[in-house]
Amino acid sequence: MQTVLNLLEVEPIRLLISFGAVLFLVLNLAAVLTMAERKVSGYIHLRFGPNRVGPRGLLQPAADVFKLFTKENVAPGRSDLWVFLGAPIAMFIPAALVWLVVPFAPGAVVADLNVAILFFVAITSIGALGVVMAGYGSRSAFSLLGALRGAAQMISYEVPLILSLLGVVMLSGSLSLTDVVRAQGDTIWTWYFLPQLPMFLTFYISGIAEVKRVPFDLPEGESEIVGGFMIEYSGMTWALIQAAEFASMAVMSAITVTLFLGGWQPPLPFLDLGHFNWVWFGIKTALIMFTFQWIRWTVPRLRMDQLMDLGWKVLVPMTLIWLFVTAGAMLVI
Amino acid sequence: MLGEERRAEHEGALTEPASGRLVSPDIRDEFGLETIDMNMGPQHPAMHGLLRLILELDGETVVRCDPVMGYLHRCQEKIAENRMYPAVIPMTDRLDYFANMHNEHGYCLAVEDLLDVEIPPRAEYIRVLMCELMRLASHIPSIGFLMLELGAFTPILYAFRERERIQTIFEAVTGARMMFHYIRIGGVKADLPPDIPQKIWDYIESLEDHFKRDFVDLIQGNEIFISRTRNVGKMTQEQAVEMGVTGPALRCTGVDFDIRIDYPYSAYPEMEFEVITDTAGDVEASYRVRIAECLQSIRIIKQCLEQIPEGEVMGDTGRRIRPPEGEGFGRVESPRGEYAVHVVSDGSDTPYRVHYRDPSFCNMQLLQEIVPGHYLPDIMPIMGLIDPVSGGWDK
Amino acid sequence: MALTLPEGDLQSRLQRYLDGLGDRHGLEEAEIVGDVVRIVARKDDIPAVLATARETLAIPHLSFITVVDRQGSFELTYELMDFRGATVRVKTTIEGDEPVIGTVTGVYPTANWHEREAYDMFGVAFAGHPDLRRTYMWQDHFDHHPLLKSFEISTKRTFEGLR
Repeated sequence: MQTVLNLLEVEPIRLLISFGAVLFLVLNLAAVLTMAERKVSGYIHLRFGPNRVGPRGLLQPAADVFKLFTKENVAPGRSDLWVFLGAPIAMFIPAALVWLVVPFAPGAVVADLNVAILFFVAITSIGALGVVMAGYGSRSAFSLLGALRGAAQMISYEVPLILSLLGVVMLSGSLSLTDVVRAQGDTIWTWYFLPQLPMFLTFYISGIAEVKRVPFDLPEGESEIVGGFMIEYSGMTWALIQAAEFASMAVMSAITVTLFLGGWQPPLPFLDLGHFNWVWFGIKTALIMFTFQWIRWTVPRLRMDQLMDLGWKVLVPMTLIWLFVTAGAMLVI
Repeated sequence: MLGEERRAEHEGALTEPASGRLVSPDIRDEFGLETIDMNMGPQHPAMHGLLRLILELDGETVVRCDPVMGYLHRCQEKIAENRMYPAVIPMTDRLDYFANMHNEHGYCLAVEDLLDVEIPPRAEYIRVLMCELMRLASHIPSIGFLMLELGAFTPILYAFRERERIQTIFEAVTGARMMFHYIRIGGVKADLPPDIPQKIWDYIESLEDHFKRDFVDLIQGNEIFISRTRNVGKMTQEQAVEMGVTGPALRCTGVDFDIRIDYPYSAYPEMEFEVITDTAGDVEASYRVRIAECLQSIRIIKQCLEQIPEGEVMGDTGRRIRPPEGEGFGRVESPRGEYAVHVVSDGSDTPYRVHYRDPSFCNMQLLQEIVPGHYLPDIMPIMGLIDPVSGGWDK
Repeated sequence: MALTLPEGDLQSRLQRYLDGLGDRHGLEEAEIVGDVVRIVARKDDIPAVLATARETLAIPHLSFITVVDRQGSFELTYELMDFRGATVRVKTTIEGDEPVIGTVTGVYPTANWHEREAYDMFGVAFAGHPDLRRTYMWQDHFDHHPLLKSFEISTKRTFEGLR
């Protein structure tokens, strides 16, 4: 036993094992999230949602995965096959990689990078590549439109996303996510979402846009371009795209929690659970994910020009102004 | 029948390629850009039924929109020529399958015009009652479809919950949920079951209670809904009238044309209700018109239930319906607009010719006119404005 | 933007429509039946009659065009409505097996699809129509007009060209 634990001290092995654990977590999370999505939508629609497989329908994700494994992968005849098949992987890997730097609890992080925020920004940008690959590889007018929309949207929403991070970086004085969490303290009013409220909202909105969910799901746009970039996918490749979407949604919630909602910190000092503080992290992440789903089933979708207007004319100026306000306040205080 | 040359002579227009219609031709010349052609439908999941739109896109802007119909064409008019007069009624149910009662009503009015038969007042009231329930069952889902096309999934389920309840009433009255065959030549099939007036009343009351919550508060003030629908599909009164648009799509431009008032039929002259108009003439206005028309329908249904007289429900048409030679016209206000039927009789058991003027078919001409210049995602709300039904335009 | 709808009471309007059309064109028959002005015009006059109705009498709405195959001749009904209770029903007859008539799309743009439908179903050619295509039936390989009385419902013959 002791030897096994000692093994964890060896850096490459620890990295491998913990990354394996995180990957396992991500894949399962995607399955759990599909279930959650369907149940939440069911309750919002005043219907049941899946309730046949297993107790209260809880085994539905397992059945889904089994079904998707047994389905045939169909590629369009004129598709660019390698690009077509590579796209889901190019979408999934960035979503999974970001989990490397997310601190779940004190000390519980796969790689405690001192430039974790930069790493997050860099890796999420790669997600757009997968969308473009999928749209281009499918050779269909619908998916091409979806890919172009996806690329434009993700690139333009990177800007407010990054700008909104700067306030947090300035306040905490560090690019490491662990330091950011530590700097927020263990009381709810010292967390960064209060002093940085416009930044928090900007990050939240551009986060939704980054993970392509309603009201920003234009790349999918199921009512006009029918699934957009993933229109031609089926079976496991489609499942991988779905897993990537859910994983990136989860990671966006986790990063939001880490940056603005105090990460693993309890809302009040006496609620400190010590080594079990990851429970707080889990609860907060789940709450943010629930709001994502709540929004998804409530509002309609924006149009491309309106989306761009919101990004460039509202969010970017707002973050810039608040950046100056933060800097001024830090100078004065 | 027609020779090849003759066809070519008259179909010359269609072979002309549409080119040079880019929004900004300078950019095209400079960078060698081209438009792309896209087929939307007929198996498009969000399209209303089996419609194919041939689109020419410049980026996301539509420069040409050409609807292609006929994927659900059953040649109802030919079928009607080969069936006896009463046997056409169930076929009219299959026309506009969101307004079955109105289809039956229009056809029966046309044949009654030929026959010159007296309809008992109770039957007229039941017809109006059923038609207004049908209008509710069509308008509410069409609001839901509009939201579905904008990307919000929830209202459609609320809408179908209401439609389901109305269908339950229809099932109790007519025995069928969609293809009723209830309105017959000379009256209606059967009287209302004794408990149904109370059930309808209860349902209408409960609908009134949560109508505002489910279909107005959830949708109307939504910022995204407004930005997606305001000034989208904008048309002037002249455009709408020129294109032969009727129904809510015409009334949202401000023309207060409603067959129920202007060409009264059945028991409508005895009802008190308003014609709803709006001035904007865009998708949002059509949504508001539909919402207000639902409330007017509720009003008419209540009046029907209060005023309905006792008596027979079937007039004396004789055992065998064999109208004299001549022609009959029937015209009703279906949820989508003016639904007219023209029946020509040659004195035999079967109609010599039946012509249906379906509002979905006529309103769809609007697509060619107003879609070019809009963005691709705007096509769907414009379809929600027109709200065509596949069975209607394809006869 | 604003569209002027006809005013005045129904009877005077009907009389005005009847006089307006009767004065300008040599009509074969013209009478008022109930709320309907029933007019029978010669085939060649149809575009002119409808132009008068639209431009002089300001009847805004063309409801539908019905074609009836009388086996040897074709009977066309143009139903015009003024939105306020009055209807003008213009009828005409085209003799012969290959009917041709002038289009009215210039005055009533909505006639576009109605005429296309009539062409599709009966083979009535509308001279000067901007876009005379089939609405419902196949563009190629299908040389029949299904609503003609001479067209028998027979799967084998109908789909011969398509197989």
